Amino acid sequence: MVLKDEGYRVVLVNSNPATIMTDPNLADATYVEPITPFFIEKIIAKERPSVILPTMGGQTALNAAVALAESGILDKYSVPLIGAKLEAIKKAEDRELFQEAMRHVGLETPRGRFVHSLEEALRAAEEIGLPIIIRPSFTLGGTGGGTAYNMEEFREEVEHGLRSSPIRQVLVEESVIGWKEYELEVMRDLKDNVVVICSIENFDPMGVHTGDSITVAPAQTLTDKEYQIMRDAAKKIIREIGVETGGSNIQFAVHPETGRMIVIEMNPRVSRSSALASKATGFPIAKIAAKLAVGYTLDEIPNDITKETPASFEPTIDYCVVKIPRWDFEKFKGVDDTLGVQMKSVGEAMAIGRTFKEALQKALRSLEQGRFGLGADGKDVLDVRSLAPNKREEWKKRVLDRMKMPKPDNVFYLRYAFQLGATIEELYGITRIDPWFLHNIKQIADLEEELISHGA
Amino acid sequence: MKATPKGKAVPSRVTREILLKAKQYGFSDRQLAHLWGTSEKAVRQLRKDFGIIPVYKTVDTCAAEFEAHTPYHYSTYDQENESIRSEKRKVVILGGGPNRIGQGIEFDYCCVHGVYALEEEGIETIMINCNPETVSTDYDTTDKLYFEPLTLEDVLNIYEHEQPEGVIVSFGGQTPLKIAKALEDHGVRILGTSPEGIDLAEDRERFGALLKKLKIPHPMYGTAYSVSSAVLVAEQIGYPVLIRPSYVLGGRAMEICYSGEAVREYMKKAVDVSPEHPVLIDKFLEDAFEFDVDAVADGRDVLIGGVMEHIEEAGIHSGDSSCVIPPYMISERNLEEIKAHTVKLAKALKVVGLINVQYAVKDGVVYVLEVNPRASRTVPFVSKAVGLPLAKIAAKVMVGRTLEDLGVRDFDFRTVKHISVKEAVFPFSKFPRVPVFLGPEMRSTGEVMGVSPTIGGAIAKAQMGAGNTLPTEGRVFISVNDSDKHDVTLNIVKDYVRLGFLLVATEGTAKFLRAQGLECQKVFKVNEGRPNVVDMIKNGEIQLVINTPLGEGSRYDEYAIGWAAIEHRVSFVTTLSAAATAVKGIERQKFQELEVRSLQEYQRETES
Repeated sequence: MVLKDEGYRVVLVNSNPATIMTDPNLADATYVEPITPFFIEKIIAKERPSVILPTMGGQTALNAAVALAESGILDKYSVPLIGAKLEAIKKAEDRELFQEAMRHVGLETPRGRFVHSLEEALRAAEEIGLPIIIRPSFTLGGTGGGTAYNMEEFREEVEHGLRSSPIRQVLVEESVIGWKEYELEVMRDLKDNVVVICSIENFDPMGVHTGDSITVAPAQTLTDKEYQIMRDAAKKIIREIGVETGGSNIQFAVHPETGRMIVIEMNPRVSRSSALASKATGFPIAKIAAKLAVGYTLDEIPNDITKETPASFEPTIDYCVVKIPRWDFEKFKGVDDTLGVQMKSVGEAMAIGRTFKEALQKALRSLEQGRFGLGADGKDVLDVRSLAPNKREEWKKRVLDRMKMPKPDNVFYLRYAFQLGATIEELYGITRIDPWFLHNIKQIADLEEELISHGA
Repeated sequence: MKATPKGKAVPSRVTREILLKAKQYGFSDRQLAHLWGTSEKAVRQLRKDFGIIPVYKTVDTCAAEFEAHTPYHYSTYDQENESIRSEKRKVVILGGGPNRIGQGIEFDYCCVHGVYALEEEGIETIMINCNPETVSTDYDTTDKLYFEPLTLEDVLNIYEHEQPEGVIVSFGGQTPLKIAKALEDHGVRILGTSPEGIDLAEDRERFGALLKKLKIPHPMYGTAYSVSSAVLVAEQIGYPVLIRPSYVLGGRAMEICYSGEAVREYMKKAVDVSPEHPVLIDKFLEDAFEFDVDAVADGRDVLIGGVMEHIEEAGIHSGDSSCVIPPYMISERNLEEIKAHTVKLAKALKVVGLINVQYAVKDGVVYVLEVNPRASRTVPFVSKAVGLPLAKIAAKVMVGRTLEDLGVRDFDFRTVKHISVKEAVFPFSKFPRVPVFLGPEMRSTGEVMGVSPTIGGAIAKAQMGAGNTLPTEGRVFISVNDSDKHDVTLNIVKDYVRLGFLLVATEGTAKFLRAQGLECQKVFKVNEGRPNVVDMIKNGEIQLVINTPLGEGSRYDEYAIGWAAIEHRVSFVTTLSAAATAVKGIERQKFQELEVRSLQEYQRETES
């Protein structure tokens, strides 16, 4: 839309009929064709576009762009990629190149090794030590990935990962499970201006896919110094990777005690998190990215919302945003509902409030799974107040045990645990959820008790 | 103590201070009602009596440092409201809420079209939604956006603040419909088909009576309140039956039962039957063909947007089935009946806006399976296939326009010259070890569309779009159940042979094929010995699997085959009709290069 307004003839390729994007009045030519090199080449031959913008359509589009560039088709029709060049995409997506790039700018990545066979993987495992994360290369939503806590699992996960990866490559990597997880949404223009649009903190620590995590914007538990270090790192990264224009999403892990910061990965494109960051800040990342791609710079683009400030002003947020995933496990009988590095959610709800507490409860009732907040809605699986006093200890132990593995309803169990007298320290020990979040949840549980006393 | 409609009162010790604090902590009226043993309505009333109503703040990217122009709001319990009500004509559209299995962005598509339509009519649009993955929550899509939960409490608060002329609930799928009745009870004006009409279509008894009056055939059905009565009801109807609990939507926990034994088994494990929660039992029309219709009615005329034919036979959820526009195997007479029934139903239910009707055709008789007087998940697909924005037309009709003055009353979807196929996309590769067979429960998470001048081309493209490119040579593994060992199967198999495929089958099917003079390599079942069929799939020796379910006994084998196929990216079909259409796709793919054409070009061809 933006590009059409700028006077470009826009040719769109997408085979999904459900989206507004494939409406015939949005682009000048709308091809509802498979996003594969075969069809895209035909469309290029027919439409002869001047450039291709591959960074707006997620992983599928990016993969197709890489294939087209590598097979020489883009050269044949002399149509360049804009937004991100092939080298930048590969540097960000190929973990080996990414690790090298990070080393180059003095940033740490998890220790790990790329392997192409089980034998190689077993050798790598000896060096790294369990638990180990297995990540197949070039898959959507981390499909085929997992975490291994024993060698039997390790073998299984590696074999599954190798099969899932289109290039039969997996990364076996040092586990940073339990570390704090952050994302920064960053944008860069052709004049090398970089702005940080939004910081996002995962409520669930590392080990759970971001798509399966409750996430909060802006980041709540970083010190100002830590945040500045992360910002600086993000700027170095987008420049080193060489994403010329547009949005990128960079994930970091921070050790909760030592503060050691590690770069996990970067998406050189508009991602699920950019959509969230856009909605959280009111900064239209995709729209601005499109303008940057055709040569505008951040200081030239006015911010739609204020009309006065340019897009080079970083958004500031005086509220709290919470996103909660929605899972539909009951449709897939027999599926393990433990959350891990492979995303299992099917949707999400976001809510905005003045405080984390308000936003959390609003988001929970937005999910439409029959819940009207953090429990206390008649849908609780455990009614702590009706337990006999001598049963409480036993139930507390059960609840704490239940929370050892990340599960979709763990957030409700935090409330039960507080009601049963668990402390923030105890819960932090088990869940590795930052004490600041736990403290807020405890406040909700405590207010509930106070409310009841008013009802007596 | 305050009297409430339910007779329960809010405890008198509740102070303004504590109630305000609870709201600031995000507690919903519903939670407070639960904690205080009263009704949501009573809490709402008390809250208003205390003057505790939310204010709407603006998402302005700059922490209020500069003035913001784009009205994007959220509620909180604080000072100073920043959302100013305009004096224009305005309508609230309720969005679809979070994506889930059975409800994805197709409803968001309808909501956004509703917005476009009302803007064209000069009406201010107000969107309420909480799903960040949507276009409806782009702040520049609507005149005003409230990023808020779609609950009765939150929607009513906005309604009272904005005072619009009405609310559209029929575009966002189940989410807004669930609260439609309650909104109406609170005095909210619902635009389009009344909640009463929507209710009537969902109430079996009343709807059954209506069909009888309209003389439209439907499969026999009954209701059972206990395990023993379930078997009785099923026997009266005659097997096979489709059985499901009454209180869940979206095909959850549905099953097809072929015997009293199966019914008892289902009742034991699947449902908690009681007088309040009966189970619904329908005659299952085996081997019937299913059709879906999306139409728009304005109270006087009915516009048939398109009739889709499902590729898979009856028994597979319409959301999981692939479908084709225009229908490719239906008699002229049946098609006319489908159109006529749709018109009759839309009029009888007093539909103003969208209506979706599902039909089954068996032995030349058209049966109505289900009617939904609201946006369906196929609206975007139909709109793109026939080149007519149905949701937009529906929104205009809801605010008083007629199909006639919109110039679409006499539209005939059969003037469209190209073929469109919709194929479902499943998350099976994410969930290793789940059953891969399709059934009455919907499990797909997305869809793709293939468009081509021929059905083969459209099928080939849809499969490619779904990441499941059909093979053009190699070996086809075939395993069909005994009831499928007939001429139809044989003809499909012969088509594969004609295209140069080699056949591989396990003993039973191999015997059947050889008896018909077809050459076929025999392979072991999983537990018969090695190398077996799974080994062959893993070795890349099989390019296509045709496996129709053989029933509980051989489930283990079939699951193993299905998982192996998915893991090794081997094309996999579980119904004969899908096998029959796949071969059309393969033939097209093999002998003629697939061409690309934009929707705009197809549109011009239709118009010329």
